[in-house]
Amino acid sequence: MTPGAALDRLVRRVGAQVRRRRVEHHALRGFFWASLPAVALLALKGPLGPRALPAAAALLVAGVLLGAAWGALKQTSRADAARLADRAFGLEDRVATALEWAERPDRTPLVDALVADATARVERLEPRHIVHRILPRETRFLPVPLVVALALTLAPALPLPSPRLPDFMGSSQEEDKDKNTGSGLLEERSKPEARERLRPPAFEEREFQARSGASTASTAGDLSAVFKDTSLSSQRPDFNSFLKRGDERLKLLEQVDRLPDLASDFTASQYKMVFRKSKALSGGLRPDQISPQKLKELLEEMERLGRKGGNWSGDVGEGMEALEGGQTDKAMEAMQKALDKMRAQEEAQRSGKGLRGGRDSERGGGSRDRRGGEGGGEGEDFGEGEGLLPGKGKSGSPKGEASRRLSATPYDVGVEGESRRGRKDGYDTNMTGRGGPMASRLHYLGVIGQYRKLMEDAITREAVPRDYHSQIKDYFQALDER
Amino acid sequence: MTDDGRVREFVTAFETLRAEVEKVIVGHREIINHVLIGMFAGGHVLLEGVPGLGKTLLVKTLSESLELSFARIQFTPDLMPADIIGTNIIVEDAGGRKHFQFQQGPLFAHIVLADEINRATPKTQSALLEGMQEASVTVGGVSRPLPAPFFVLATQNPIEMEGTYPLPEAQLDRFLLKLRVRYPAIEELNAIIDRTTQSRQVVVDRVMSGAQVLTYRELIREVPVAAHVRDFASGIVMATHPQWADAPDVTRRFVRYGASPRGAQALILGAKVRALAEGRYNVSLEDLKALAAPALRHRVILNFEGEAEGIDVDTLVSQIIENVETSTAQSREPFVR
Repeated sequence: MTPGAALDRLVRRVGAQVRRRRVEHHALRGFFWASLPAVALLALKGPLGPRALPAAAALLVAGVLLGAAWGALKQTSRADAARLADRAFGLEDRVATALEWAERPDRTPLVDALVADATARVERLEPRHIVHRILPRETRFLPVPLVVALALTLAPALPLPSPRLPDFMGSSQEEDKDKNTGSGLLEERSKPEARERLRPPAFEEREFQARSGASTASTAGDLSAVFKDTSLSSQRPDFNSFLKRGDERLKLLEQVDRLPDLASDFTASQYKMVFRKSKALSGGLRPDQISPQKLKELLEEMERLGRKGGNWSGDVGEGMEALEGGQTDKAMEAMQKALDKMRAQEEAQRSGKGLRGGRDSERGGGSRDRRGGEGGGEGEDFGEGEGLLPGKGKSGSPKGEASRRLSATPYDVGVEGESRRGRKDGYDTNMTGRGGPMASRLHYLGVIGQYRKLMEDAITREAVPRDYHSQIKDYFQALDER
Repeated sequence: MTDDGRVREFVTAFETLRAEVEKVIVGHREIINHVLIGMFAGGHVLLEGVPGLGKTLLVKTLSESLELSFARIQFTPDLMPADIIGTNIIVEDAGGRKHFQFQQGPLFAHIVLADEINRATPKTQSALLEGMQEASVTVGGVSRPLPAPFFVLATQNPIEMEGTYPLPEAQLDRFLLKLRVRYPAIEELNAIIDRTTQSRQVVVDRVMSGAQVLTYRELIREVPVAAHVRDFASGIVMATHPQWADAPDVTRRFVRYGASPRGAQALILGAKVRALAEGRYNVSLEDLKALAAPALRHRVILNFEGEAEGIDVDTLVSQIIENVETSTAQSREPFVR
């Protein structure tokens, strides 16, 4: 027995509704997924030109059509449609059971009654839509690409990054050339304007030339301070050499131990401030050409700074007296002495975390030169032990030179010593420094062990620069070997 | 008679029988329905409830409504299997020759009321096993069939557990349905008072014969079940097994043993009776949901955690049904698939 025509009609009707909903469902999905590449196309409106908008629209249409076709091609089984009808019309599984059992060979006598009953109930039904629309999950996100697409359509084309890097080498050379020739004022006025238009905005605000020269003021946090007082400060940045990693700045940056301690706000140094003012004051002038009023103001400022613990007040006082006496040259000398003391004090304050190399090395060399390069002055060397201990100034030992820290601060003391013949465990020592010479005799090997332990504790506890660790350890190692 | 007529006759007979029982029993419509479902499905029913709720009266009234023999066995701890099944006794014939003669026990009745079945020892409880399953008993090596239809209605008190012997799982599994008799509502209680404290005697008519019951049992088995309905029943039963791969979390956590295949049979058979009693020719999912708790509540054994947490098996079964509904294709719209 075949099921009644009413049941078949019902199932077909439900199947058609399912197909329609499927078409809607998958068309919406296709619309969403097609909207993503469409947005990408609209974003490329600049290079694509007027073709972007029709292409995006075509993508959307294609997505909708593909989704709809996919939904239309999917099959709905009769059993599924029957179950859906049973649920929707409250038929308590009559239609599904009747359709299934009507075609079974082992159907029971009750099946005929079931089919008749189901058919009768179905014929009494009012046709209506029973398949609800189910929106795909993607619909929640559909407004996003639509809004973006609309915005991209209305907005002008997005500027795209240029595939070519700007040629800084060429432009800098041209600038130099312009400066050197100095001819053709008309050219000078017209060419830079043309170049300014070509420069990317990011580089327009930079003025590399402003960094060169000692007279320019550095601001706190300005990384260019790293290269200040080095030969690199006068060089203009060369982007091509940066790319090739051939720039001297890069090489200096790679040598971490040669960098000054930027954390101490190097540019905010009192000494530097006063030094610059003194330079600006003198400016290559003879002492008799210097403004006494400005010199007096500078000395007063130094005197004010000296009240906060500086030891240059005496020199400043001498300078003020000399200035009142009209002896500008003596006042300048007194100011120079005060400047030296100011610098010495700042270095002493930075000695714990000061870094070797860079400016320090140059200045160290310079100071040695000023002191004759001998290191034999009082408070700078250690007399008898000089040249014997590794790391001393003139030793030439591969261990390197000792720190000049002891000579920079008057509060430190030094211990000099000499091993006695035949007694390797003992040392005759003298204490040097502010405490004055004081002879003592220590059990060298016992004391050096204590010092080593203190040294290791100090290295781990104190903020000792990392590159000093090995130097300190080598120093103690050398002492131990003796 | 046409098929349609047979179904209509069953519906009428079912309603008539229920009406006769309701002459005496106030309320408990669902209990009465399920007792009749158990009887027409060919199974046995366990009634559980505190004393005084009319369990025994329900069974007695049902027996009075049917043209069937009725036996009541009051289970006590000293009750022996022979007291139920019967025994061979030596009798002397007219010629003076002695021989064994089987003396039938109370089990040889169409309707057996096993009152307070959990008060008997497991040995005596087990004497019912063969009779309930095979509709026959074996005494002295001789198998003796029980009368058909054979229908056991047992009662037990869930509160007074001292001195009782809880039914073993094998015994419980023999019951098609386990019904929980609950306390009546106040309107029902008022009706009980009115009906039982007056001098008017209620006469219960015998409205159905044993032969009819057997006929209806045959008719019940003709009710078609669609594949998706059968799958739903299987899914429910399988979901009671914590070892099953797709078992829900609640089963894994609280269930020690799930329902046996007898549970699925009970579910489908009971659903068939329910469908036919409602004048329907097919089993629906709603029939399964209505019968799931009575058919499975005594077949699902909770583990220690379930007992300790005081998990109600009925609630557990309803959660399992919800889980199966959402996990199977029944609840999903077909066009999304």
